[in-house]
Amino acid sequence: MRYQGYTGKYLEVDLTTGRIETRPVEDKLAETYLGANGFGTRLLWERVGPEVDPLSPENIIVFATGPLNGTLMPNSGRMEVITKSPLTGIYGDSNAGGFLGPELKFAGVDFVVFSGRAAAPVYLRIEDGRAELRDARHLWGKDTFETEELIQKELRDPGIKVACIGPAGENLVRYACIQATMSRSFGRVGGGAVMGSKNLKALAVRGFGPVRIADPEKFYEVATRSHFGIRGNDIYPAVSRYGTPGIVSIMNGIGRFPTKNFQLGGYDQADKINAEALREQYFVKDVACYGCPVACDKIYRVDEGPYAGTEVRSFEYETLGGYGASILNPRLDSIIKAGDLCDRLGLDVISVSRAISFAMELYDRGILKKEAFDGLNPVWGNIEDALELTRRIAYKQGIGALLSQGVRRAAAEIGHGADHYAMEVKGQEIASQDGRAQQSMGLAHVTSSRGADHLKGFPTIDETGYPTEARRRYGEQYLPDMADPRSTKFKGFLIKDGEDYAAVVDAVGTCKSGGNFVLAQLYWDDVAGAVRYATGMELDADGLKVIGERIVNLQRAYNALHGISRKDDRLPKRLLTEPNYQSTKEGSVCRLEEMLPEYYNLRGWDAENGLPTVARLRQLALDDVVERLGPKLKP
Amino acid sequence: MRIQLNPEKCTGCQICEAFCSFKKERAVWPARSRISVLKWEKEGVFIPFVCQQCERAACYEVCPVGAIARNEETGAMEVDESRCLGCKMCVTACPFGGVAYDPDRGRAIKCDLCGGQPECVKMCPTGALSFEREEKNALARKRQGAERLAKYIDAIGR
Repeated sequence: MRYQGYTGKYLEVDLTTGRIETRPVEDKLAETYLGANGFGTRLLWERVGPEVDPLSPENIIVFATGPLNGTLMPNSGRMEVITKSPLTGIYGDSNAGGFLGPELKFAGVDFVVFSGRAAAPVYLRIEDGRAELRDARHLWGKDTFETEELIQKELRDPGIKVACIGPAGENLVRYACIQATMSRSFGRVGGGAVMGSKNLKALAVRGFGPVRIADPEKFYEVATRSHFGIRGNDIYPAVSRYGTPGIVSIMNGIGRFPTKNFQLGGYDQADKINAEALREQYFVKDVACYGCPVACDKIYRVDEGPYAGTEVRSFEYETLGGYGASILNPRLDSIIKAGDLCDRLGLDVISVSRAISFAMELYDRGILKKEAFDGLNPVWGNIEDALELTRRIAYKQGIGALLSQGVRRAAAEIGHGADHYAMEVKGQEIASQDGRAQQSMGLAHVTSSRGADHLKGFPTIDETGYPTEARRRYGEQYLPDMADPRSTKFKGFLIKDGEDYAAVVDAVGTCKSGGNFVLAQLYWDDVAGAVRYATGMELDADGLKVIGERIVNLQRAYNALHGISRKDDRLPKRLLTEPNYQSTKEGSVCRLEEMLPEYYNLRGWDAENGLPTVARLRQLALDDVVERLGPKLKP
Repeated sequence: MRIQLNPEKCTGCQICEAFCSFKKERAVWPARSRISVLKWEKEGVFIPFVCQQCERAACYEVCPVGAIARNEETGAMEVDESRCLGCKMCVTACPFGGVAYDPDRGRAIKCDLCGGQPECVKMCPTGALSFEREEKNALARKRQGAERLAKYIDAIGR
């Protein structure tokens, strides 16, 4: 490969035959799709057709890095897993920090593609470009922490980086996650179940090689400027001190903290589960991912009470929302316990906690009866039974089996209007991000390529109103609306730009939170410079924007192959019709229809079918998409 | 002057390794970094580890060709690559793993304090690494110890 930054090699692992091949990464692939999710999107498009069941051997799961992973750029430790999602049946990806991405690069591999199904449980070991499949029968049934530790012991190397599944993945829970390098998670879309379906327990990586840089002087300059820029940003001290839990109080203050399964937009007990309470009672230590000056990760430990001895890290806002406000549970130590349990079992905290609040609401309303719960009492706030429900979901016991499919499938099976309480888009559960209190967030959930998601468009600029950032990024002419969470004006633009930029940030292998969105320090020009000097590619901000747009469009096209169109870009009725009175006195709903046309228009998508037009696809050099989608498309 | 290690402030980000290796090798190459962060992930213990430029340096004593010598200006023990045989005696002799071996060039490699402006210290975001005069190092340590004592006295007093 002519470019630096990449290792230039990838591994093709056929689990059915046990064959492993090392192949070159084509220049063209890097030029058109950049890396990580870009690569994965292209591979899914080429290899996994609409007829493929996500849990069949024909699906693939890709672990992919980008050109900035393992470099000097701040937060360059994040990598992607891409697969067809068993939760949504469409495009799926998930991102995790930690150290796995850089390690894969140091091992001389840009990405790994798994296909097929092993006859018995295996794990893949990679060391400096050499790879082997190893027996994992003794690891099957073990939780994720035990698995990581056992592999490190077995290979006699505490520095080995492990990604693995727990019992939830083995049992094909549709939102099972993949845990990586000590508590970081590829949380969403059910990649853990895909690994489980392939009898693939883990990936273990060690590397001692370099990541080479095309223009060391210029790259060094961009990287150091980015580091010191982040460290000098106004909100760096707060993000660094509190991490994502820091937004509990902020979100609650603007009625954007979903409570009681989205019946409310704020929680009257929020101050018991906010970042200050967490820090005061349980904080042990700051922990960072590779190359990150922020260190938003923390270790928290419970020393007293029924959960004494529980220790968590990568403990996020979403856990506090999901196992706190969403089920009306104000006991912080029990939420820490829930976080630990989900990590060990290998469950996506967002989806599983939303499945539980869904079940609690159905019970409350008499749609699900007491008998369904096998002795449990799923009333609001009953955290003990919520924890037990979590276990039953991971092992698919009793009602756990029903809820393990995700709320959309569960609601369809339950009937009796249960779907009204299923807080999902395209089959994926909505995170603790309420589109009624922040209009752009509602739009982000429906346009996201992986089903309900706050991280694809990641509208942070108007979340609590960052006029300075809005002015810096977009210009005075967009104010005040751009920074107003209740305004729908310009939000189609905000989400379109956010999605394109997020696609690129994910593709290069850096962190959306620690520099690009939450801490909105870096933007198109910074990333373009970093990629240009790291790789040697002729690329500027405009070129980068085209790549971002191409990735988003190909994901949409992939979903279109699976029947997705305008009709699927919808929110749960609750968010459109039941006002959130914690957000505004008169109550607010998400005014989605005011934003969608602007979004489609800016995308160059047809407003009727919600699909890319032929003209836009050709502009993005996606001619093969035009051919394959054919009559579905408008000119 | 010495690179003072403050493990309690280390978050394990390895920025020091990335930048050290880049300065020395022009590639991001933690395996060739002169400084390493030793990690006990489960316990959350991270210890940055780098040559402390010993007064009676084993690497210096054992080198058969006098390729290791102190830079009087910076205080660093430096490897003269033109003299180094690649015999690895210094690697073996250092009780702390402060000297490593580069198999590509066949030379010993170690921290040289970047000529008096250590890159790792410059980039460390938390103060886990600092570059101070010995007297200040000692005072800082005393202050840390005294703070614990102060807290203890305060607790007893109540």
